[in-house]
Amino acid sequence: MAAIETEGLTKFYGAARGIEDVTLTVEPGEVFGFLGPNGAGKTTTIRTLLDLLHPSRGSARIFGLDSRRDSVAIRARLGNLPGDFGYGKHSTGREALTLLARLRGLDGLGRGEQLARRFRAELDRPLGRLSRGNRQKVGLILAVFHRPELLILDEPTSGLDPLMQEEFLALVREERERGCAVFLSSHELDEVERVCDRVGIIRGGGLIAVERIADLLEKTTQHRRVEVEFVEPVALDAVRSMPGVSGAEYVHPTLEQVFLTYYEEEGEER
Amino acid sequence: MIALAAAQLHERRRSLLAWGLPIGLWSAFVVAIYPSVEDALAKAVASYPEALKQAFGIAELASVEQYLNAEMLSLIVPLAVGYLAVRSVASGLSGAAESGRLDVLLSAPVSRRRLVAAGFAAAAVELAAVLALGLLICLLGSVLAGSGLSFAGALAGYANVWPLALLFAAFGVLVTAWSLRTPIVTGSVAGLLVAMYVADLVGRLDTNLDWVRYGSVFRYYGRAIEEGIDPLAFAGLTAVAALVAALGAILFDRRDLAS
Repeated sequence: MAAIETEGLTKFYGAARGIEDVTLTVEPGEVFGFLGPNGAGKTTTIRTLLDLLHPSRGSARIFGLDSRRDSVAIRARLGNLPGDFGYGKHSTGREALTLLARLRGLDGLGRGEQLARRFRAELDRPLGRLSRGNRQKVGLILAVFHRPELLILDEPTSGLDPLMQEEFLALVREERERGCAVFLSSHELDEVERVCDRVGIIRGGGLIAVERIADLLEKTTQHRRVEVEFVEPVALDAVRSMPGVSGAEYVHPTLEQVFLTYYEEEGEER
Repeated sequence: MIALAAAQLHERRRSLLAWGLPIGLWSAFVVAIYPSVEDALAKAVASYPEALKQAFGIAELASVEQYLNAEMLSLIVPLAVGYLAVRSVASGLSGAAESGRLDVLLSAPVSRRRLVAAGFAAAAVELAAVLALGLLICLLGSVLAGSGLSFAGALAGYANVWPLALLFAAFGVLVTAWSLRTPIVTGSVAGLLVAMYVADLVGRLDTNLDWVRYGSVFRYYGRAIEEGIDPLAFAGLTAVAALVAALGAILFDRRDLAS
């Protein structure tokens, strides 16, 4: 059974389109990257999955359950790190963790303490006195401490230093290994490339591509650039057979370059 | 639900002192000075226009209970605690939405209705605690100054504020179903609180306008410190508050929670 399965998921804000006909599937044990610029519909998709927004049409099923009707049962099995995590200035991370543990029916703090040590998170200082990165660490711990079956992460490494970003990626891999599905919305294309199995690219509220990372990079060979100084683009064989050329190599595009081509196309359409 | 309500009370623990202490100290001051101003008050009140006395419930100020009612319980305490009520529910709902706390809580297996119920329950406890602290300090002031304030009367007077304030907490819940911006929630309900007070006042000042009092909950507030609590009004206001809050919870469940 899929961890997430959406069918024609659509959300309009009045007349304005949030997302339209988003159809995707995320399997257990899969890390799914969700890419798109600000305003593309990433957060709207996530909030609709979490039943914070009600879909205008279409459906979302999580663990086979209806995201609207069974939202409480679903949330018992998932962890969520909202974009721009906040909890209130006066509360400490430990207070938040204690409350969430109680709401989840846990006796203690689960692996909260262990994660706090791992991420060097300050659980006993009021969140209002923490830097953005340190607040983000607390948010991350709140999302994963109860070993969820599905993790929904919206810009998870925002504010984290490079060391903690590496630790975060290691954590995501560990979660995948134990069978947890991860839905990762991010602007950090490098981290998506390193940790995700598949990516979905959303543009203007519509999902325009869902591919395995390897396939996505492979299928875009027509975009490969040849680093030779010719006046016009030339096929590699033709380049190699040209007299006077001792060698030529394709330059494989990065995921970031592939991603940006979708937006270059959009610019051309306009 | 208890865990959620307890967490909100913990988050708002400062309000007990911030609101209970000033209300208590002001009340204590009023009862403490009563013995020294008693005679002067009687002469002053005798010179007041009848309609004014009627409007502010100061037909006479022949006892410390009547004086405390006129100075505190007929205006300042219900308005202040009514405003605190809406601040309290706004903090648990619209304030939580603004801080991001709501998103975190709704990541856990908690229904929105349960969340609203917990916020409303926490507000009810907070109001009771603030009123209890105010009453306690007031009684202490009376004992120290030898004012002879009746414990039962004072208890009835402060307890009677609770269902009235609770109703404004419920209105706060109702408004959050429409807006999650704290200034809109607190501003609109505070405006309603003042409007209802003024409507009741106008109705009492002019008997031809008595009908406007039906639109105000203050009509059912009474003078519990002198006459005791009206059980029907107390239970009625509490029940209406619970119903309005329940309606608010249903509407809150149906709304979108945009980021």
